[in-house]
Amino acid sequence: MQITTISRGSYDKGKELAVALAENLGHLCVGRKELIEAAAKDGIPVGKMEVAILKPRHFSERLLLIKEHYQAFATAYLCERALERNLVYHGRAGHLLFPGVRHVLRVKVIEKVDQRIRLVAERMNLPWEKASRYIQDVDEDLHRWVKTLYGVDWNEYSQYDMTLGFENLTARNAAMALCSVAGMPEFQGTPASVRTIENLLLASRARLALARNKDTENASFRVECVDGVATVTYRPVDTPVAERIPEILGKVDGIKGVNTTMAAAHILWIQEDFSHSEETYGQIVDLANRWNAAVELIRYSSELDEDQAKLVPNETPRNASKASPDEYNGGIEDDTPESERKTEDDGGLEQTHTRLVKDGVSGGHLSCGGEIPRLLDTLESHVKFNLVAIGNVFASKEQAARTRMRRELISSLSEKLRIPVVETEELKQTYMFTFKQAVRFAVYLVLAASIFLSVFRNQGIIQQFIHSGTTSGKIQAAAFVVVVVPLFAFLYGNVAKTLLKLVRIE
Amino acid sequence: MIPQELSDLFIHLTVANGIQVAILGFIGGILSGFIGSGGAFFMTPGMMNLGVPGVVAVGSNITHKFGKAMMGSKQHGELGNVDKKLGIFLLVTAFLGIRLAVMINTALFESGADGHGEKAQGAAADLYISLIFVFILSLVAISMLKDALSKQDGNGGPSRRIVDFLHRLKLYPIISFPVADVKVSLWVLLAVGLATGYLAGTIGVGGFIGVPAMIYVFGIPTAVAAGTELFMAMFMGAFGALNYVYQGYVDLRLVLLLYCGSLIGIYIGTYGTKVVKEIVIRIVTGVIIILCVISRGIAIPMYLRQLGLIDMNPDWDIYFNQASKVLLFAAGLSGSGIILFYVLRAYRHKRRVVSTLAGGKSSETKPAST
Repeated sequence: MQITTISRGSYDKGKELAVALAENLGHLCVGRKELIEAAAKDGIPVGKMEVAILKPRHFSERLLLIKEHYQAFATAYLCERALERNLVYHGRAGHLLFPGVRHVLRVKVIEKVDQRIRLVAERMNLPWEKASRYIQDVDEDLHRWVKTLYGVDWNEYSQYDMTLGFENLTARNAAMALCSVAGMPEFQGTPASVRTIENLLLASRARLALARNKDTENASFRVECVDGVATVTYRPVDTPVAERIPEILGKVDGIKGVNTTMAAAHILWIQEDFSHSEETYGQIVDLANRWNAAVELIRYSSELDEDQAKLVPNETPRNASKASPDEYNGGIEDDTPESERKTEDDGGLEQTHTRLVKDGVSGGHLSCGGEIPRLLDTLESHVKFNLVAIGNVFASKEQAARTRMRRELISSLSEKLRIPVVETEELKQTYMFTFKQAVRFAVYLVLAASIFLSVFRNQGIIQQFIHSGTTSGKIQAAAFVVVVVPLFAFLYGNVAKTLLKLVRIE
Repeated sequence: MIPQELSDLFIHLTVANGIQVAILGFIGGILSGFIGSGGAFFMTPGMMNLGVPGVVAVGSNITHKFGKAMMGSKQHGELGNVDKKLGIFLLVTAFLGIRLAVMINTALFESGADGHGEKAQGAAADLYISLIFVFILSLVAISMLKDALSKQDGNGGPSRRIVDFLHRLKLYPIISFPVADVKVSLWVLLAVGLATGYLAGTIGVGGFIGVPAMIYVFGIPTAVAAGTELFMAMFMGAFGALNYVYQGYVDLRLVLLLYCGSLIGIYIGTYGTKVVKEIVIRIVTGVIIILCVISRGIAIPMYLRQLGLIDMNPDWDIYFNQASKVLLFAAGLSGSGIILFYVLRAYRHKRRVVSTLAGGKSSETKPAST
């Protein structure tokens, strides 16, 4: 099974290349137009969504649901075809429709702007300036579409395997060149990648089933499938319909079981090796319970890069832990028996994830290797996290290097995600109720109570002081209020926050 | 005890009305956390219903807002939701607006001697504050409800008609704001800043104008609008508080009592936004504001009588005041009750894992052990 995606803009030779390639290889050729028409036929208002994306910040909750439906439909549509026949897809972001499928050959087509303007000017009979403006607008729309739907920059070259320009190359010759690339072992389907596509297809079908059901059509879900078991994460607002999920998914062919998790927040836990028996696990699960959060695990090791990156063309290999970093196999993987797969060293990822599912806080898991920027790229297309906890990473480095690299990772993640990023050692200190916090709570409570009682015991004097008739008295009163009010707000605010933390309302 | 000469300005606080002020703060805090505004639309008239003169109610509330905004702005800043450049531009004229509002309020409070009522001194300011309150919040509530009900089909977020219109006008100089990712004419900025400051100084609810203006007139994302508004509120609150304290119209006791309720309520309200659907949030907010507007409207005849503008039996004042108070508390209690209902329900549900196990399509559900 082969899959080639040609990511193209408008008025370039992408379509021509895709058609020629499919013809040469004898593969099925599917274009964006066909996909959009099928989605519209299925009742997804793609046009409405496109208009909303082109007008920034017009994205309502309803349109976000349409986006989820469309993504599920597009993935299901292409996965179905890919499982039937070898496939060439040409469109804007085909490379993002097969997350985790390693053997996809991802090609990006670029064309000189002048050439595209010329083509528009000729076809639409427009003056050069207007045609140029038109191309600019079309490109802007394309970037917005990809950014809104998948959260990535369309121009980021690291997400493609090849980029082709047509200044000195015809589409037909480019297709011939691609034929030999497509024949390389890295781009051949393997039993493992077929399994990933089947999982993707099942998850997309499950999401679509929820979108098509009257009870759940207005709710937002995140669905993942592994070997027929679907994990559905829903928001607290959708609690009333969540109980319908198993019944609805029970009717989807291939679904053997359903886990549902309510998540108001997402916690990302990044570590090199996981174990559910370590103290951090308990702390993270406790925090997730307090926050109604789902926990996503990322096994991150820079060491994985040197070996694994060579054999992992896809940047975001979900469940990539099944591939051992130590064995280079030329991209061909065996369909390892279930029992054997379980024993492979994945740094405890699978086991910890299973435990999270049992504890009802699972938010997914994946492996990632390489330098820090690669990890950041991987996170770009993910759900919005509320907290990142960094555990033992860069373990093979020396102490000083490990500290420096960890600090660098934390600052990069903070800058990129703009959410709190903490080390797992700090978790207890920052988010749990510790002895130190209890002391602070008591001190703040005493101070706040002292201010409160002082004001009420001396209310006559204080109000007379505030209503002073002299200029110097007024200035002193203003200074007094400006100091006392924020101080009380700070002290009492912290007391209130801690109290609510104790009753788990955060 | 409050000295006799100040008893017209600062009410006598008993345990009962002290608790009522704290409850006002609690409900205001819940609404504030839930809606994202300051909650003054509830707390200011609420205090007036307890007998606090309008100018002291506004002064105390704006002082209370200052400390609260400081904490909120810090949190939003950490999330990157504050456009400081935009906030500073708006603040320049907002300060002028606040100063103007304080001058008008003070002048009206000190006038009113022409009236017949025994409370004529504060009646002019009370009437003025109530009229502005009713006018502005009616507009806000109606547009909020209209927006919520017309967008049920999900045809997009806030309208960009005004943003697009102003872009076409190209009123130079146009200033770019990278955090909010917008370009806005300086003149539009100054006008919005002035209006925000004036309303913050007059009725203590500048956020009701500032946030929608930033969304509908500047076209900036809601989260950045809320964060920038809190950043501004911190300075406007400090400036407003300084002005009102300087005039002697801040009751520190009320400020502390409001905090006692609001700082707990705000966390519960914020939690509520996670567990209530967006459409419900908008409708609940709109209805609460409408009820607050009606409540304030009921009190207007009382002020008109005190100023001698209408002829009415002074004994009726108490009925108007009570009706206004009951309606306000009903609005606040029902609104916060709905929010608390959702919060408690979600709190109870917390999380559950439901599993259907292989073996045909029968779906046996079971709650998790967690």
